[in-house]
Amino acid sequence: MRETPSFPRVTTSAFPTVADPAAPPAPVDVRALAGALAGIVGPSHVLTRDASLLVYRSDGLPGLARDPALAVFPGSRDELVAVMRALAAVGAPFVARGAGTGLSGGALADGVTLLGLHRLKRILAIDAEARTATVEPGVVNASLTKAVAPFGLHYAPDPSSQTACTIGGNIAENAGGPHCLKYGVTLNHVLRATIVLPDGTVIPLDRGDDGGYDLLGAFVGSEGCFGVVADVTVRLTPDPERVITLLADFTSVRAAADATSRIIAAGILPAALELMDQATIEAVESSIYAAGYPRDAAAVLLIEVDGAAAGLEEDAAAVETECRGAGARGVRVARDATERARLWQGRKKAFGAMGRVSPHLAVQDAVVPRTQLADVLEEIQVIGARHGLRVCNVFHAGDGNLHPNIPYDAGDPEQSRHVHQAMREIMARCIAAGGTITGEHGVGLDKLPYMDALLTAETLDAMCTLRDVFDPERRSNPGKVVPVRACKEWHGAASVRGGQA
Amino acid sequence: MSDQPRNVRELAGLVRDAATRSAATRDAGLRIEGAGTWMDSGHPVRAGVTLSVGAMRGIVAYTPADLTITVDAATTLAELDAATREHGQWCPLLPWGDDRGTVGATVATATAGPFAESLGRPRDLVLGVEAVDGMGRVLGAGGRVVKNVAGFDLTRAITGSWGTLAVIARLHLRLRSRPAVDESWAMVMDDARDTPGGVSRNDPGAALREFSRGPHAPLAMLDLAREDAAALALPAGTRALVRIGGNGAFVAASRAALQSTAGATAVAVEPATWDRVRTRLAPGDRALTWRWDALSRRLRERFDPARVLNPGLLGEEG
Repeated sequence: MRETPSFPRVTTSAFPTVADPAAPPAPVDVRALAGALAGIVGPSHVLTRDASLLVYRSDGLPGLARDPALAVFPGSRDELVAVMRALAAVGAPFVARGAGTGLSGGALADGVTLLGLHRLKRILAIDAEARTATVEPGVVNASLTKAVAPFGLHYAPDPSSQTACTIGGNIAENAGGPHCLKYGVTLNHVLRATIVLPDGTVIPLDRGDDGGYDLLGAFVGSEGCFGVVADVTVRLTPDPERVITLLADFTSVRAAADATSRIIAAGILPAALELMDQATIEAVESSIYAAGYPRDAAAVLLIEVDGAAAGLEEDAAAVETECRGAGARGVRVARDATERARLWQGRKKAFGAMGRVSPHLAVQDAVVPRTQLADVLEEIQVIGARHGLRVCNVFHAGDGNLHPNIPYDAGDPEQSRHVHQAMREIMARCIAAGGTITGEHGVGLDKLPYMDALLTAETLDAMCTLRDVFDPERRSNPGKVVPVRACKEWHGAASVRGGQA
Repeated sequence: MSDQPRNVRELAGLVRDAATRSAATRDAGLRIEGAGTWMDSGHPVRAGVTLSVGAMRGIVAYTPADLTITVDAATTLAELDAATREHGQWCPLLPWGDDRGTVGATVATATAGPFAESLGRPRDLVLGVEAVDGMGRVLGAGGRVVKNVAGFDLTRAITGSWGTLAVIARLHLRLRSRPAVDESWAMVMDDARDTPGGVSRNDPGAALREFSRGPHAPLAMLDLAREDAAALALPAGTRALVRIGGNGAFVAASRAALQSTAGATAVAVEPATWDRVRTRLAPGDRALTWRWDALSRRLRERFDPARVLNPGLLGEEG
């Protein structure tokens, strides 16, 4: 176990800021750059005034804010490429941004150019026979599913922000969602892409299945540090013949976690398996998203099985048996699509519902091996209690992907300090359990301080190497994902190379 | 000359030594080997030393209820299969070739098999990797969890790189439960389909393709050439092999669909047929045509600047 990370600088927020700002970039003449960009996209699509940029100072994560120097919004692929080349020409760092729904501060631009991609929202092609779609990066996740619904298809990754978040952002974050348990994360649904590298070069990327490195696989989840997606071809998934949604009601979180392990161990692969604890249930049931969850339950599991109609009721029955075996008080099956939608709305809007509880919500994301869930959840409650905080758990139990969320008031420095400390302890516990510090939200700025505790110096250095393959000048989303101090030059290797030549 | 490290530290030392030697000699290159049974890429490796990870072998960690397993690189596919079968699970890598091959080589070459479409390809099944790059850095990325986005994805870069970016020492893999009911069917087609110029009124091939895209999608469906049936000891006239798996009711419905395929007769065969299929129908060695675009060259250059890892294997220029 490495020493715990230190947090050298704390902003007004509860959260540590980037530990190591990138080496100061060459000064960029903002007015000249804005003028050049306006020449490409038109003056109405370049923002430079503080007031108009305000909306871009944060993303979906409360407590972190950074002010971009300017923002530019290309309206076509040609404009995107021209913008990237204009940025490259003056060595200007930039941050790509889709809908700004990210939960790790990854789309914040600290004094650099914000490159908004939401105008690039064309669906370029749908091939129902091949079950693929080619889209621009600004296409909203749910819009793609809506567009392909007439063909009996959908786009499987379904982050809770799917009605707002973009496919480009999903690729940057390797986004997940409840149904990734069965269907896989974004990585498993991306076939080909056209990328604009930070130097303005336009290149095709694929998974290397015909003899090549998996450059696209490496690009997915690179959090905007490797370049920008110009278009992407994704796999579409046939709609299941039938869906059964169950709600199991438990008198302890441990019993719900045990039921999760039992279902997986019984060989059933649910489409989704979500856990919500009492604090979350209470927040949801008190909100406009009330889903009919039992208010007196310590935890509920929302479980969905889908696929061919034949055999599905047997799977649902087996799920119920395992839940009851783990001590479920009751198991309810959604009678129709309306009830199913209502049960899901409570889950998908749970973060929003927590807005009723307090002004801010610290949304967290970590993963542990599934068999560790019950123990880790108990310790998270202990950690929360020690800091006088209430932890609301709502997460992808089937994947072991925790979301311990803490409602708090960012204006209260004492409470903010406790939130910060509790989060650090929770992350340390997840690492100790053999887990990781983020399963789907990304590192961004928020998780940077934990990277040293999770990964060795050599591994972090190699991650910098991978970044340098795509972005040797480190201008694309500077200062994110890997602490800059971890990137060292490998002088020994350089001399080796020189000797061989 | 041959080196056989016992652990990742020794492995890293040997690679670092080779990188240092490369300044003085052209024979510093390492030919990376597991069981030594792996497919030829069709390009010669220019290496003075064989670096065998054969001693790094065995199951490192396996908690069945997590549906993940950690194995050392030279663990054979047969060992992986035996360890997981005991708990009603399997690792769906099941690549073309036989089970004497190693897990490390399967992942290094990203070799898929007949089940890849339904159960996943190597690039999707590898959760994490411990490996040594061309500078001797020990990289540990990903891990024993099924979702992980902490940092840039070294695992994806290394998987399928044929050992030219890093030597795989250890792997974390996703497992699945074996289906409760698992049946394999030889589809024996009517002769009319194969008469020169004549096509049966029924097109069982098309019907099967439709079946495989529908709600009863099988674990695998393989079209067979006429001569394959004899080689695989299947009933004469077998032109497709189908494996269906799931719970009893699902498999019953799938079976009924297969049995009602017009123009074909479904004959039950042993699951072991698939082992013969993977061995006998494995694509022959052919020269790999690697995509050496600028980004790929830079990737190779940055992770193995001294060109000591399998030099020449992917046909790259000097």
